[in-house]
Formats: sequence, structure tokens, C-alpha cells
Amino acid sequence: MAVAANQLFLLPIALVFLLLFVVPLIQSFWYSLTDFNGYSRVMHFVGLRNYVRAFTDSSMVAALGFTFLYAIATTIVVTLLAIPLAVVLNEKFFGRNFVRAVFFFPAIPSIAVLGLVWSFILSPLGSGAVNSLLGLIGVGPVPWLADTMLARLSTVIVSVWGQTGWHAILYLAYLQSIPRDFYEAATIDGATPRQRFFAITLPLLAPAVTVSQMLLLTGGLKVFDLPYTLTKGGPGYATTTISQVIIRRGLGEAKFGEASALAVVFMLMVLVVIVLQLTISRRLERRL
Amino acid sequence: MEHRRRILSTLTSIVMLALAAAVGLPFYYIVVNTLKTQQETGNAPLALPSHLFFDNYLAVFQTIPVAQNFLNTLYLTVVSVALMLIVGSMAAYGMIMRKTWLNRMFGAALLLAFMVPFQSTLIPLYQMLARVHLVDSLNGLVVMYSAGSIFCYFLILGYMKTVPYEIIEAARIDGAGTFGIYWRIVLPLIQPILVTVGVFQTMWVWNDFITPTVFLSSASNKTLVLQVYSAVGQFAVNWPAFMTLTVIVLFPVVVFFIAMQKHIVNGLVSGGVKG
Repeated sequence: MAVAANQLFLLPIALVFLLLFVVPLIQSFWYSLTDFNGYSRVMHFVGLRNYVRAFTDSSMVAALGFTFLYAIATTIVVTLLAIPLAVVLNEKFFGRNFVRAVFFFPAIPSIAVLGLVWSFILSPLGSGAVNSLLGLIGVGPVPWLADTMLARLSTVIVSVWGQTGWHAILYLAYLQSIPRDFYEAATIDGATPRQRFFAITLPLLAPAVTVSQMLLLTGGLKVFDLPYTLTKGGPGYATTTISQVIIRRGLGEAKFGEASALAVVFMLMVLVVIVLQLTISRRLERRL
Repeated sequence: MEHRRRILSTLTSIVMLALAAAVGLPFYYIVVNTLKTQQETGNAPLALPSHLFFDNYLAVFQTIPVAQNFLNTLYLTVVSVALMLIVGSMAAYGMIMRKTWLNRMFGAALLLAFMVPFQSTLIPLYQMLARVHLVDSLNGLVVMYSAGSIFCYFLILGYMKTVPYEIIEAARIDGAGTFGIYWRIVLPLIQPILVTVGVFQTMWVWNDFITPTVFLSSASNKTLVLQVYSAVGQFAVNWPAFMTLTVIVLFPVVVFFIAMQKHIVNGLVSGGVKG
């Protein structure tokens, strides 16, 4: 009786698991092998044709390229900025709490809304905020969001602006758990600040690096909101991400088979990246 | 030595305050331009307004159903987060009470599900909701967000392992039933993690863009974030009005953040696993 009652507690999550994960995943996989278009009842098994098409389609190849560029660039830049920022925010100085709050602040509002605001700020017209400031010193107007490379760069910069503070606070939380004695002992032994950073701080931050980079990498691969609101994926396909292509193909153009093939490939990619990232970080953590 | 340290601290202060000003500049830009006319914004985007000008706020409240959007978002967030916390905490309790191999396998399967990106299941999910007429409905979105209960489950499970099992044993000896123990003993004990997870999921649902933009279409169902997105076209040339709408939309999140600041930082430490 008590056993049955206990298992009853697992029923709701089992339902969520079945309806929102198992069934749709099986369906995605099945659709990816057919020419299903959502309307006609007849569907044909087409083998791997959708997968081949997915990898030869120019918009998809572009999306794949930009998504990886975005995920890797944001992960590297945010990590390189957030760790030193956290170290400084851990020191005592006037205005520290205010500075911490300001850096963290961009993580609070919806990134979609911030993307829209930045699209106004970076507007390629002379009336955009950045361009009208540059105009004062006789530069520009710069086509921030209209040029392929500049649009990619702008997307990564806005993303770094939005995420660095959040990750710095994550590192700060780990920093604060490092005992002061370690530093005192090292100072007495004559260690320079540089030596203290590389011998104490960095090794003890390793678990935080693992967590932070995993969040950045998976978040970067899954990204939808920021490029979509900032540039609509343009110019052309310059800042289109995999998520955008899946949604457009599947729901916009009702090409369920192709979109599902992308969805399956995408999921496998995310899983491989998570496993790779965890294995590499574990190995590095052990070496430090 | 003391003298040098003070100079260093002052230098740090100056550099960090300057950097913070640069990071915060876009927010200053948004807020200050809500109080200006279109012409002023164009001429001097960063200057303070020449006089207080509230017409933008009036115009936005008159043309955009902000109150309706707010209530939609509030309903969506409260119901979704409550559901996630209930499902997640029930599962964690059930799992901790009976550690059979079957339950262990199920736990591992949940971990795999946690890593599945939403985009990979999106198309079948859309069809499923369409079949039961829950597309373009707030309740349909609640169903989608209930997927977040798996994240809740993992964080709550981690916390529950720290709850002394003797308390539950003692309650059972005193004759409490399985449900009574969950409701009257376990839930109050795990309150801290419920708050932390709740804050995180609230920020997620409230700020989410991809799910509403895929599933909602009618104007009366729009969430705040979705409303800002649709207003871009409407205010394409009227930037001050657009900035005013974003300030109105950001206001509740900022208030929530200030009230919950402590829990957010705690959550970063205990649960930096949200993806």
C-alpha cells in the first residue's frame, strides 16, 4: 500500500517525461525519415534523403557555421573576461556592491527585449545611437547590423555584454569559498600575486569553469532569442542559427521531414558537445 | 605598505566604476530617452531631457494593452512555476523514499531528457498541442513549461538528500501517511530550495521568448516580451515610444530581482546547471 502510494509520487514526472520527451523524440526521428508535410495523410519513407538535403542546403550550412562560431566565441570571451572580473570584484574597494550589481544587471531582463533595444542602438542608419555618437567625431555611419562580418561581431559583443556579469558572479561565489588562509600562507612563503593566482585561485576555480563553460556552450548552440531579435538572422543568413532554421522549416514552411532531420542532428550535436566538454574539463581538473 | 594599498584600492575603484558605467550605459540610454521628444532623442541621444516629458508613457499606455499583457504573463508564470515545483518535489520525494533499480534507471533517463534541447522536440509538440486545441492558449504554454519540472526535480533531489531521514521515520511511526509526510513535513523542510528554484524558473518563464513566439498568435494572449517584439514594427520610427514600452516591461522584473537578489546569488552557487 505504502509502496504504491510512493510510486504515485513519480507519476506526474513520468507523464511529463513521456509526453514532452519520449513521444516527441520518437516522432522527430520518424518524421526525419519521411516526406511528411503536416497536412497530407500519406507519407513515404525516404531514408536519409532529408539528412543529405540538410547538409547540402546553403542556409543550413550557414546556420551551422554561425551557431558554432557564436557558441565558441561567446564561451571563450566570456570566460576570459569573467574570471579576472570575479577576482577584482572579490577585492575590497569603494563602490564594490554597486559595480557588482551593474555588471550582473543585463542578466535580469529578457535577452529578447535587450536584443531589440540593441537593434535600435546599433541601427545602421545615421540616427542609431552609436552612429550618431560616432557622427559627432566625424566617423560613420557604420553598418553595424547590415554588414556580414560586423553583424556577426555585433551579435557576439551584445551576447558577451549580457552574460559576462552573470558568469563573473558565478565565479565569485566559488572564489568566496576559497579559505583566506591559503593566500596568507602563500604570501608568507613569498608568492607573488601572479603566482597566487595561478597556483591557488585558478585550480580551485576549475569546477566553476566546468559549470560555466557547459552553460555557455549549450546555451550558445541552442541560441535563438538574441540573433533573432537583433538581426532577424541577417543580413542574408549571416547570423541565422540552427534553432531558427528548424523553426522556419518546420513550422513556417511545413517541411516536417527536413526540419526533423535537422532537429535530430542538432540533438546529437548538443549531446556530443556536452560529453566532450565534460570529459575534457574533468581531465584538466585532475591535472591542475 | 598601507599607503600603497590605499592607492591601489582607489585606482581599482576608479577603473571599475568607469567600466560599470560603460556596461550600464545602454540602460541609461533607454531610461533617459523615455522622457524626451523624438526630436530631442535624435539630436542628443545621451543628454538629460530639457524638461520632464511624460507623453511617451501616456501614448504607450493608450495604444498598447500593457495591463492585459502583464496579466497574461503573470498567470503564465505563476501557474507554470507552481506546477513545476509540485511535480518536481513530488518526484524527488518519491525517488528518495524508494531506491529500487527501476527508479534509478528512471532517474538516469530523466538526466538524459534534461539535456534534450527544446528545438529537437518542438515540431511534434506543436502538433500535439494543435490536436488538443491548445495552440495559441496560455494553458498550452503551461503544458510546455511543465518540462521544466525535470530541472526542479534535480535541484530539489540534491537538497532533499541533506534532510535527515530520521524525521520522516519518526513521522511514519507517529502514524502519518505518505502524503501527509510529503505535505506537512517534507515541503516545509525543503522550503529554501523551493524558493531558489522558484526564483530561477520565474525568471525563465517571465523572460522566455521562443515558446510564446512559436505558440501564441492572437493579440489577447500576448506576453510582455512578445508585445515588445510586435511593437517594433509599430514604433519603427518612434524610438522614444519603443524605449518607453521596454522600460514599462522591464520594471516588474527589476523589482522582482531586487526583492529576490539573495536567492538568485544562492541559486547560482547551488544550481548553476540551468541550460
